[in-house]
Amino acid sequence: MAMLKVENIQKSFGKTKVLKDISFSLEKGEVLAIIGSSGSGKTTLLRCLNFLETPQKGKITVNGQALFDSDSKDKQSDSVIRKNRLHFGLVFQSFNLFPQYKVLENVMLAPMLLAKEQIKKNGGYMGVKTSKEAQELIRKNALRLLEKVGLSEKKDSYPCNLSGGQQQRVAIARALALNPDVLCFDEPTSALDPELTGEVLNVIKGLKTSDSTMIVVTHEIEFARDVADKIIFMADGVIAEEGTPQQVIENPQNPRTQAFLSRFNQSFS
Amino acid sequence: MEQFLSVTQQLLKGFGENCYIFAITLLLALPLGLIVSMGSMSKFKPLRWLTKTFVWIIRGTPLMLQLFVVFYIPPLASGGQFSFPRMNAALIAFVINYAAYFSEIYRGGIEGIPKGQYEAGQVLGMKKSQIFFKVVLLQVIKRITAPIGNEIITLVKDTSLASVIAIPEILMNAKDFSMEGLIWPLFYSALFFLAFCGILTLLFAFVEKKLDYYKG
Repeated sequence: MAMLKVENIQKSFGKTKVLKDISFSLEKGEVLAIIGSSGSGKTTLLRCLNFLETPQKGKITVNGQALFDSDSKDKQSDSVIRKNRLHFGLVFQSFNLFPQYKVLENVMLAPMLLAKEQIKKNGGYMGVKTSKEAQELIRKNALRLLEKVGLSEKKDSYPCNLSGGQQQRVAIARALALNPDVLCFDEPTSALDPELTGEVLNVIKGLKTSDSTMIVVTHEIEFARDVADKIIFMADGVIAEEGTPQQVIENPQNPRTQAFLSRFNQSFS
Repeated sequence: MEQFLSVTQQLLKGFGENCYIFAITLLLALPLGLIVSMGSMSKFKPLRWLTKTFVWIIRGTPLMLQLFVVFYIPPLASGGQFSFPRMNAALIAFVINYAAYFSEIYRGGIEGIPKGQYEAGQVLGMKKSQIFFKVVLLQVIKRITAPIGNEIITLVKDTSLASVIAIPEILMNAKDFSMEGLIWPLFYSALFFLAFCGILTLLFAFVEKKLDYYKG
């Protein structure tokens, strides 16, 4: 069974149809890269998955559980939407770190709030009963994640003292701290200088294991080809082509994909 | 020398009134301004327009006139049945006036926080209240420290306007001396304001420095 199933998503802003019937599915451990020109709806699709936008139509299912279904009549409460969001993580193009917190605090803040809430409500969080124990657990996990993104020695720095690439790596650790089922990246390197792009892409590559499911919206075609198991090419709010990197990037069938990739393929052939 | 002491004493007594108006106005207008700013940012249109009209009227008319309105309109309208004591009338006018100004500073501070900060909180599963208190609030405070400080320093001097409804504040006392032919207390009173504003300036510089540990 597919871990993530997206069916017939439609989203309009006013009269502009941004997503026109998007469907795809993803297995656990797969990496999906979404490519396409600006304005094709890639970012909106990610925002729908993270419930920052509500689609007018469609269904989103994770591990067999329908998180969103436009056919269901009940309006979802804030707390349900909040719970649904925890299935997904999102790394933004512009990092959006919290400037007043140190790096470690940025990574720990959301899990700590969640732990306190759950301890109060259910009497426990991930097997511990007090918020002090939870803090120890969360701190350990946060330090492990910072090590994973190569920023252990920056744990006490403020975001304003980090480079863009370092900030984005903190943002990745922050998203991982909540252990989402699907981690999404919205053009994670578009706001970076070319020389900082590599370090972020390497961290994302390093995250790829058998049980990490990721969706990466990117303009880095080479990266998409190397890391993704599956590629979707979007144009004008529809999936124009999808398949393995070999199919979509090296042998595109759709004329729009061919046109989009022509410059890339020229420079590499 | 004896004259200097008695003038000082009289001016100090007046300045006590100024300080009282200053303190009560701050205490009430700072939170009231936040409520007003919520109104002017409300998604409910009628409330938003009502609040904006209120702010327009308060900021669009002189504080002196507002003091007259609060003090003279109730007795005129009720045929002398009802009126506020002078000090209460002054406080009502000051609190409303300053709440309107503060509300606009708050609104600017809150609306100036990048949308990405809210969205980052949302995708991390935070509640709206958690996002406001844990993520946004300190950033807003940092942004509004300078403009609020400006407004608070203006308030120190505005308290003298209370003399128009015969509250015996410092300038009124100084003016009384000048009518008796003693002109220097009028200029001497400036020292009281300068000292008070000087302390406030230092205080705000301290707060700004405290919040300077991060940028952005």
